[in-house]
Amino acid sequence: SVCILFFSSFLLGLLSSLVLSGLVLGAHALTPSHHLAASDVARLEAVLSQSFTDLQSAYYSIVGLNKLGVSVADTDEACRFLQSNVDPTSIASLFYAAEASQSLSGCEIPVSNETRDFLLAAVSEDSTISQIHNSVSTLSSLGLPLASQEVVSALTSRITKEDNVYAITLALQTAAHLSQQADLSGILEEIEDLAARLDDLGGVYLQFEEGLEATALFVTAAYALSDHVDMEPPLKEDQVIQLVNSIFSKKSWDSLSEAFSVACAAAALSNNRFHVPVIVSALGPATVSHRQPLLQLQVTNVLCDPLTSASVVVESASSVTTKSAILNQSPFSLRDGIFELNFMNSQPASGYYQFAVAVTGDSRLVANHIELKVKVSTEVVISNMDLSVVDKDQSIGTKTTRVDYPSKAKNSFVADSHQNFAMSFQLVDVNTGVELTPHQTFVRLHNQKTGQEVVFVAEPDSKNLYKFELDTAERKSEFDSISGTYALYLIVGDATLENPILWNVADVVLKFLDEEAPATVQTKTLYVPKPEIKHLFREPEKRPPTVVSNTFTALVLSPFLLLLILWIKLGANISNFSFSPSCILFHVGHAAMLGLMYVYWTHLNMFQTLKYLAILGSFTFLAGNRMLAQKAVKRSKVPHWIPLSSSTLV
Amino acid sequence: MAASLFSVISRFLEEYTNTTPNKLKLVDAYLLYILLTGAFQFLYCLLVGTFPFNSFLSGFISCVGSFILAVCLRIQINPHNKGDFLTVSPERAFADFLFANTVLHLVVVNFIG
Repeated sequence: SVCILFFSSFLLGLLSSLVLSGLVLGAHALTPSHHLAASDVARLEAVLSQSFTDLQSAYYSIVGLNKLGVSVADTDEACRFLQSNVDPTSIASLFYAAEASQSLSGCEIPVSNETRDFLLAAVSEDSTISQIHNSVSTLSSLGLPLASQEVVSALTSRITKEDNVYAITLALQTAAHLSQQADLSGILEEIEDLAARLDDLGGVYLQFEEGLEATALFVTAAYALSDHVDMEPPLKEDQVIQLVNSIFSKKSWDSLSEAFSVACAAAALSNNRFHVPVIVSALGPATVSHRQPLLQLQVTNVLCDPLTSASVVVESASSVTTKSAILNQSPFSLRDGIFELNFMNSQPASGYYQFAVAVTGDSRLVANHIELKVKVSTEVVISNMDLSVVDKDQSIGTKTTRVDYPSKAKNSFVADSHQNFAMSFQLVDVNTGVELTPHQTFVRLHNQKTGQEVVFVAEPDSKNLYKFELDTAERKSEFDSISGTYALYLIVGDATLENPILWNVADVVLKFLDEEAPATVQTKTLYVPKPEIKHLFREPEKRPPTVVSNTFTALVLSPFLLLLILWIKLGANISNFSFSPSCILFHVGHAAMLGLMYVYWTHLNMFQTLKYLAILGSFTFLAGNRMLAQKAVKRSKVPHWIPLSSSTLV
Repeated sequence: MAASLFSVISRFLEEYTNTTPNKLKLVDAYLLYILLTGAFQFLYCLLVGTFPFNSFLSGFISCVGSFILAVCLRIQINPHNKGDFLTVSPERAFADFLFANTVLHLVVVNFIG
């Protein structure tokens, strides 16, 4: 039962940690990595403010600028342009004129009854969605009645035939003009279907493969329809941010229609009933110091309009190194559209701080929790700079000289190989008096005559007192043993220091023993032709003298003589040699094989030998087989094999 | 101690001379020849050096291999062992001996350089 208890508690712990990690991961929502800055919005306005060449460009310019909250330069001129260029026989032309006139105050496009009938007739299953969209929008802009249910049925049947992104977006846009009594649920579902077709690129971007314009037009249409029927679009917050990244990543636009689509999308995302993405960015670098104690944030919508009604709060601010919390739920104050917080009031030590900022006040806000890294910088002051020359055998210095920044020591210090040159100092924060340990504390010795410089690092001890000791004898290799006067510099730098320091503290005369004097540094001789390398061929091995080898050859061959003698003594003879053909052929073949071995040693390679051996071998084998069979037969005829007989093997 | 050793050896030699068939004595003489040849090669190697090493190896391996094959032949044609080699006649043993020697010396000549 104890085991069960432990096991269940372990499972519970595992489950809770999983849930917690899920929450933690979920809490880290996506924030926009691309957005339009004020200069980009101005550029968009400039693109849309170009003078119009035809009705379509007039439509883009007038309606686009209207979306950005800006009006055309000369509204009367624009209105006249529309009225004179409209072509009542073209639905598209009527659409551009009607929509554009809607954006200009006090501009009316006169429309005859035939034109109206012509527009109404365009609403049918035989027209394309684009034509249906243009006629419905025109009728709606001109305030003329239309049959919403007919439009819905026409659109529904056309959607099945025209399945591309542009067409369905236009269908959505059309439905936004229809009466709310009509059954728009079928068309509303198309938002979700289209959203499923968006490509997720790296978790950062969400866009159609058809491009930026299609994505921007889809966003415009989706929010227009959703606002019209007052139903939240089926887009998750992360998807909305990814759409923001896709649409606003491009800061200069290829065509007027692309600029128009971006303006429409920006207007839709800054002013709809459901999702308003928040853009939070620091004004300038996110750095705070005693001279500039205010952390300034721009909190805007996608059109760079400040969200003045929102409340911006620092949920937590903690030091990156020590992880201690400095702030908790501190509000920003709004001044001239910028949200400010005086961070120096909390007296933070210099370093980096992780801020978690929340923007609240409107339930529509998306991506309203932001993580920000803020740097607190300070100024450093060098105190207690003591220089001395210490004899090696005594640890007590002869005399310490104190030097104050930025002056230089009056006398130069002399150190030869029996002495060490020592330096100690403290680095202190000028405002708080706290000891600092910057990243870069270097001591540079520069020989003015030869131009040589040697850099050392000064290290702090446990009490944050910096010490530097130069052992003249030990370090002579770095100086190439060149004696002379070296100017001593102290270099202090860090990312959080506003006043990096390069201070010529003193002059040090170093005396080295056994001075070599390379006039220039050896690097000059790197590119001179090097001495030629003579290839040494492998020398042949030493052979023993011929006498020795001859002697041993004779020695090695001598046992053969012994063998012959022994064999003769034992009575070996060839008296039983039969002259049968197989016997002769066998011996001939065998002798040939032995001869082949010799020829192989002297002339041939393995492949040739194997070839000849195969021929000779098979021949010898056949002959030998015959011969031995005959011998076996002869032997079996003898009653039994008599030892010590004179029968032979050969 | 030396006397008993001497008597053992002389007894052994006497038995050998009397009881061993002639055929086997011929093979034993061949074995002695091979042994001495190998020993002299090794002696050269010890005294003068191993250059050229491949030649020394092939010569030495030739001796060792031939010795082994001759021992096999001797075992197989020994009438005492007839019971162990019922399927192998002396002629067959000799043919095997020749074939194995051919293969051995093909490799030896290849390696001798």
